Amino acid sequence: MSTNNSSQAHPRGALVYYVRDVVKTRESEGVAFRLKVPSLQIAMGEKIALVGESGCGKSTLLDILAFILKPSSVGAFRFRPERDGDPLDMDAYWKAGRLNQLGDLRKRYLGYVMQTGGLLPYLTVRENMDLCRNVLGLAQDGTIEHLAEQLGIAKHLNKLPEALSTGERQRVAIGRALAHRPSIVIADEPTASLDPYAAQKIMAHFMELVEELNITVILASHAWRHIKELGLRRLHHRTFRSEDRNLTETIVSG
Amino acid sequence: MGVPLRKVFALASRDYVHEWQMSVCFVLALAAVLGPMLVLFGLKFGIVGAMIDQLIEDPGNREIRPVSSGRYDRSWLESVRRRPDVSFLVPRTRSIAATIELSSEDSSRHVRVELIPSDQGDPMLSPRGDRPEGVTRIVLSRSAAEKLQVAAGDTLDGSLARQYRGQKERVHLPLTVAAVAPARAFARDGAFVSVNLLEALEDFRDGRAVPRMGWSGDRENSIRTYPSFRLYARSIYDVAALRDAFANLGVDVHTHAAEIELVQRMNRNLTAIYWIIAVIGLFGFSLSLGASLWANVDRKRKELSVLRLVGFRTMDIAWFPMVQALYTAILGWALAVGLYLLVAGVINQMMASQLGQGQQVCQLLPHHYGIALALTCAAAVIAAGLAGLRSAHIEPSASLRDL
Ligand SMILES: Nc1ncnc2c1ncn2[C@@H]1O[C@H](COP(=O)(O)OP(=O)(O)OP(=O)(O)O)[C@@H](O)[C@H]1O
Ligand SMILES: [Mg+2]
Repeated sequence: MSTNNSSQAHPRGALVYYVRDVVKTRESEGVAFRLKVPSLQIAMGEKIALVGESGCGKSTLLDILAFILKPSSVGAFRFRPERDGDPLDMDAYWKAGRLNQLGDLRKRYLGYVMQTGGLLPYLTVRENMDLCRNVLGLAQDGTIEHLAEQLGIAKHLNKLPEALSTGERQRVAIGRALAHRPSIVIADEPTASLDPYAAQKIMAHFMELVEELNITVILASHAWRHIKELGLRRLHHRTFRSEDRNLTETIVSG
Repeated sequence: MGVPLRKVFALASRDYVHEWQMSVCFVLALAAVLGPMLVLFGLKFGIVGAMIDQLIEDPGNREIRPVSSGRYDRSWLESVRRRPDVSFLVPRTRSIAATIELSSEDSSRHVRVELIPSDQGDPMLSPRGDRPEGVTRIVLSRSAAEKLQVAAGDTLDGSLARQYRGQKERVHLPLTVAAVAPARAFARDGAFVSVNLLEALEDFRDGRAVPRMGWSGDRENSIRTYPSFRLYARSIYDVAALRDAFANLGVDVHTHAAEIELVQRMNRNLTAIYWIIAVIGLFGFSLSLGASLWANVDRKRKELSVLRLVGFRTMDIAWFPMVQALYTAILGWALAVGLYLLVAGVINQMMASQLGQGQQVCQLLPHHYGIALALTCAAAVIAAGLAGLRSAHIEPSASLRDL
């Protein structure tokens, strides 16, 4: 089940993520899933893709990397958002239950694009895109309008999300994740609900924007075909099933 | 480094307005509980208030009268008068001796009137009118004045007779009408006169000499005692305590304490009943608001976890139900007050013919509205606190995808 693309050396340099021996076990109704990450290092500015079938644990890994899911056990989990800052020990944050500090890190350094939705229905498109900037106290400087222009949703800025098509909503979600110039954007199958043509177009826009802003990207997808063309580094992973099919285990490294 | 409260407020408000149908339902539900409660309290307050007003308005309710006659001397009466809860006290002479026959120039009739001892500050007399003074100026009761066809300033002839040493003697004395008392002061034919005049008349009837009036008789120098007195308490609320004080002194008195206590007890009972209803009502409202806010947290799980995802802190999230509950409380209160004013207006209009000028059956004071608002907000805050606690525990990863 292992997939492997043309092997390339790890681009070393300033590491944003340093992960060693992180395990997450999820269990319900006697069926367990285990994600194991023996080693994962992501450098600043890298574009990473996590490609795999449904249920293999992509979202699980992304949520751990976005500090919204607590790992079951950790060898080392360090996060260094600033090039010349000290790495932060995320395990310590989790163990101390400092959820507010994790929230502060997300607010400042992360943008997150969900598979679908994630927009606030009571805010206009402009306000939704401005949400992260707003809570950070950033001033209106035309960023939103510029982004909306690039994503092709400029004419929808004053509408509520309910008046938008699914694809347009996805573009708004992408805009929101980028608007506050985060150092890392995590996108969990951002185009899964779109037709392939629209998906390709939106992803091309997305890659253009992150390239322009020099943002580290971690992207999950179940289709490698059109991801390939975007020039992302693919993470290796293997998925095993136990004989009684009650335990699924995915091992990711890269 | 939480999100500024101003922004949390703005977002919670936007959500509240966006879900206006839901919000309207909450507001209506609150007004439906609070409005009738305000009307109920307004009625209680208005009716009991009117009854208390009536009690206070009639000074007769403050009167304390000895049941049987006794022998009270000046110094004892003086000591009672100095009590802070006594507002007025004059001694009474024997009632047998306290009558006089009056006649005026305008009326041929002779009218026998009862004499009531009075003095400065008599609560039964109008505070603006003239007082009885000395042995000539008296205040007539309304019915006596009508029979004699006199008004303030007119003169009268008073006459009284006694049996002295086997002979009938009659004396006349000139009197002036100082004022006519209000009708409710004394219903029969009567006159409010100074204690001095009453003492002189009693002496004359008893066959004693009254040199001041030029009436001859025996000279006895016994210390004067009075069989009774006219006493008015400072307020209706002092009546019961005074009655008990007299009982301790061995003086049985007749008072209106029972009626006053009845009204007070009714006030207390109605207040207790009202509060039971109010507490049940507010508790029910608090519970239903709490339940719906609690359910709201579930309904909005995804939205709230989006906020968590973009870095809202636990407290920021907990403010959401709080702000929205306060909106419900304030709007619901305003609607309830509007309802109350409408209903109270109708009730007062309906009752207007049965009531005196300016009296209202349904009435609230400004601070009652304030108390209602404070209680409602408190109930809402408690309800929202539980929901807030729950919303603060939303785990973003578990909730982000459950759509
Ligand atoms: N809350 C949970 N409790 C228990 N098991 C869970 C929970 N969430 C996910 N799982 C299990 O973990 C495994 C991985 O789930 P995950 O959402 O990471 O998959 P995925 O790769 O993102 O799939 P997809 O491509 O469909 O989004 C699944 O087998 C799922 O059944
Ligand atoms: Mg997924």
